[in-house]
Amino acid sequence: MAGKTILEVQNLTKFFNTPGGQLHAVDGVSFTIEEGKTLGIVGESGCGKSTTGRTILKLLEPTGGKILFDGQDITGYSRKQMRPLRQEMQMVFQDPFSSLDPRQTVMQLISEPIIEHKLLRSKKDIEERTLELMRTVGLADRYMNVYPHELDGGRRQRIGIARALAVNPKLIVCDEPVSALDVSIQAQILNLLKKLQADLGLTYIFITHDLSVVKYFSDDIAVMYLGQMVEKAPSDILFKNPIHPYTKALLSAIPLPIVGGEKPVRQLIRGEITSPVNLPDECRFMKRCDCAEERCKNGNPQLREIEPNHFVACSCV
Amino acid sequence: MADELVLDIKNLVVHYETEDADVHAVNGIDIAIGKKRTLGLVGETGAGKTTTALSILNLVPNPPGVIKSGEIYLEGKNVLEMTPAELEKMRGNDVAMIFQDPMTALNPVMTVGDQIGESIAIHQNLSKKEAFEKAKEMLKMVGIAESRVHDYPHQFSGGMKQRVVIAIALACSPQLLIADEPTTALDVTIQAQVLELMKQLIRDKEMSMLMITHDLGVVAEVCEDVAVMYAGRIVEKGTADDVFNHMRHPYTEGLFDSLPNLKQRGEELVPIKGLMPDPSDLPPGCAFAPRCPYASESCTKAVPELTAVDGSATHFVACSAYNNPEFKLRGSKDGR
Amino acid sequence: MTQAGDIKKQYKKRTLFQETWRRLVKNRGAMLGLAFLVLLVVAAALSPVIFDYEKDVIGQNMQDRLMGPGAAHWFGTDEYGRDLFARVIYGARYSLIIGVGSVLLGLVVGTILGSQAGFHGGVVDSIIMRGIDIFYSIPNIMTAVVIVSLLGPSTVNLMIALAFSCASSFARIVRASVMTIRDQEYVESSYAMGLPTWKIIVKHILPNCLSPIIVQITLLIGTTIISASSLSFLGIGVPAPAPEWGALLSAGRSHIRDASYMCIIPGLAIMFTVLALNLLGDGLRDALDPKLKK
Repeated sequence: MAGKTILEVQNLTKFFNTPGGQLHAVDGVSFTIEEGKTLGIVGESGCGKSTTGRTILKLLEPTGGKILFDGQDITGYSRKQMRPLRQEMQMVFQDPFSSLDPRQTVMQLISEPIIEHKLLRSKKDIEERTLELMRTVGLADRYMNVYPHELDGGRRQRIGIARALAVNPKLIVCDEPVSALDVSIQAQILNLLKKLQADLGLTYIFITHDLSVVKYFSDDIAVMYLGQMVEKAPSDILFKNPIHPYTKALLSAIPLPIVGGEKPVRQLIRGEITSPVNLPDECRFMKRCDCAEERCKNGNPQLREIEPNHFVACSCV
Repeated sequence: MADELVLDIKNLVVHYETEDADVHAVNGIDIAIGKKRTLGLVGETGAGKTTTALSILNLVPNPPGVIKSGEIYLEGKNVLEMTPAELEKMRGNDVAMIFQDPMTALNPVMTVGDQIGESIAIHQNLSKKEAFEKAKEMLKMVGIAESRVHDYPHQFSGGMKQRVVIAIALACSPQLLIADEPTTALDVTIQAQVLELMKQLIRDKEMSMLMITHDLGVVAEVCEDVAVMYAGRIVEKGTADDVFNHMRHPYTEGLFDSLPNLKQRGEELVPIKGLMPDPSDLPPGCAFAPRCPYASESCTKAVPELTAVDGSATHFVACSAYNNPEFKLRGSKDGR
Repeated sequence: MTQAGDIKKQYKKRTLFQETWRRLVKNRGAMLGLAFLVLLVVAAALSPVIFDYEKDVIGQNMQDRLMGPGAAHWFGTDEYGRDLFARVIYGARYSLIIGVGSVLLGLVVGTILGSQAGFHGGVVDSIIMRGIDIFYSIPNIMTAVVIVSLLGPSTVNLMIALAFSCASSFARIVRASVMTIRDQEYVESSYAMGLPTWKIIVKHILPNCLSPIIVQITLLIGTTIISASSLSFLGIGVPAPAPEWGALLSAGRSHIRDASYMCIIPGLAIMFTVLALNLLGDGLRDALDPKLKK
């Protein structure tokens, strides 16, 4: 019983031209998301996860591939054509310190999208709606005329969420929304996002480097490495049965807050992520992989369905 | 009698006095680190962790920072009474510090070899050439090829830079290493590598370490002792086993409940309600009381003292709820 | 439920402007500069009321010529017996109008050029900035001399000439700030919100460049007053007999041995005005940037 597909991404690529050659930030990424679900995109810095999120929202122009939002092919849309669609797809940014204009008050920040999209016209209605949004995300009324620099990270992130919600979007791309926050505040924001999803039927793309956060949050998880998806599966399956060597390493690298108890054996991977410039046609993880074989040199492996809904890009499985 | 202590901080109080307010960053903490022990200082932003670390090196920026009172004994000598010359000799030689951001901790116009050699040459009276040879050894020790000794920091990745920083810190074989969130800026797989390296080096060089972090996972990985800090005070301390498996303070419990990684998908996280208090306007009594689910009226009356848990020699908690011998945390697995 | 308007009133807060003012008041130097400037502006504004231009300012009175400062003439008189006090106060009008006028003109032009160059980058940036570089490579005074010679000497033409150098300096400052702000996440967030580019520049980018611009305005007014005076000193500024400060200085030059006050007093007027502007500019820079607080 499949729900309605809200976003379909086909073979998305985004290259940047750098002095050293072409940088393959996103290199052939495909996925679909059903309405009301959450897709977690996980990877380390430089794997292209943020670029993927920004390209889907057309904040960056894709180099190739297709983006279908609600059945509409938006790949070639100009900034102007995208403007009405901004009501449907929104973004929550990583850094609550730089993603809010420091010269605007909380009220101005949250009401801006309402005014811009002419959702409400009278000043009174706009103010009512802003207050309603502030209450929805758990900001007290007294903060309405406050500037963001007077608030802590958690409250600022709530402003960012309220701004995204202001236009009643269907899809929200959350780019590391909690990684700049303290643990106790992280939990508050994660619970809020979860509650909003249940109440408003939102669809999330949840971009993060923190596997523990996505485990708690996502229906499906895609692991990215050097611009490509290396493994994609429903959350439970991925955590129970990770197959790609990189996913395994990523999972075992998380330091667990357990003392004395049973702890899984660490699988350290050697080396560091290589530069995504001028990549040879071979497995991109090969040089850090313990189970690399001769055949890994023959072409870049593509995602294959290993078991139902579980896709892995590795020549060795 | 306890083992010989490498670091012994007694009743340290540090304030930042600015025009607008008097920020109470550290409000009377006591910590001690024994020889070859690793203490994890855990807390959230603004708990006073970094200020504590800077105090040990007497590097609290002044103004606005003022060390109001307290004693910091480093192998028996009080840091706060040292002359500037003694301090310079101590820093880098007896105590070394690793900072959070490896990107800015290195001088971009000096080769890594020169930067490692610099501190060796200063503290060990070696010639430039000998120091440089030693620098090569240090690089090898942290897992970087000797041939890269002539490279500049920008030629290294983040994880490699942090290795270089570690090499500089360990160059003079200090007795105590202070690591301030050393892996926060790194990716998980790199973090795992760096933690592994640090653990191994600490063991080989028989050093003590003060590890400052907000990540309980890192603490579990590296530390033998743990001190949990909140609003400038230690609220609970003990061995890692004491704090992780027999936690007593409501804040410690809150920290663990906020972590998503132990939970199954779908379960609601239990965040600590509210926010860290403003350190220039701390609530009366126990600073955690306004956020504490167990708080009673008496909590706002007096600041609770650290008291031994059930006569334990290692495990201490500062919570007045334990005045009632029946009190137990809700999530307590431990019937001790 | 309470009305939104009531809640808004209830939590009224100090605006950024009030906040800046509160910090500025604490800065003694800036307040001294501001007080001097206010006094000067008031005096200059009232000067047509106090003095009769034809009689007191340019009317010649040969029997009183070259009288030193005293009770009758506070600043003394010049070689035609004109009261120097009246001329200096009246001259403030010229200096201030030219200073403020050319800076504002330069501000408008420079901000437009600089924000376009900074925001779009690439070819637009290269064309605009290389053009400005060419202007920069020629000394300001030389540019002004050429323009005034082409257009003919008058107050307005002098203003235009001086506005050129102001424009290039504003363009550079605005471009630099726009370039840093352009990459901030809140600009990207505005795109994600669906704002058109021009609105993003006007609403989110320029207001955040305000502090360096305001500081530059105060400092540039000072520089421009000096340039205007230099041009008048060279004889291509405000035409005689108007009492522009540079012209007064120039007139006093021939009497520098027997009546040195004729040079000293207009010189001091220029110096104090520029000093006051600089003090105010420094104070504003500190007040506008809360992070600089000691």
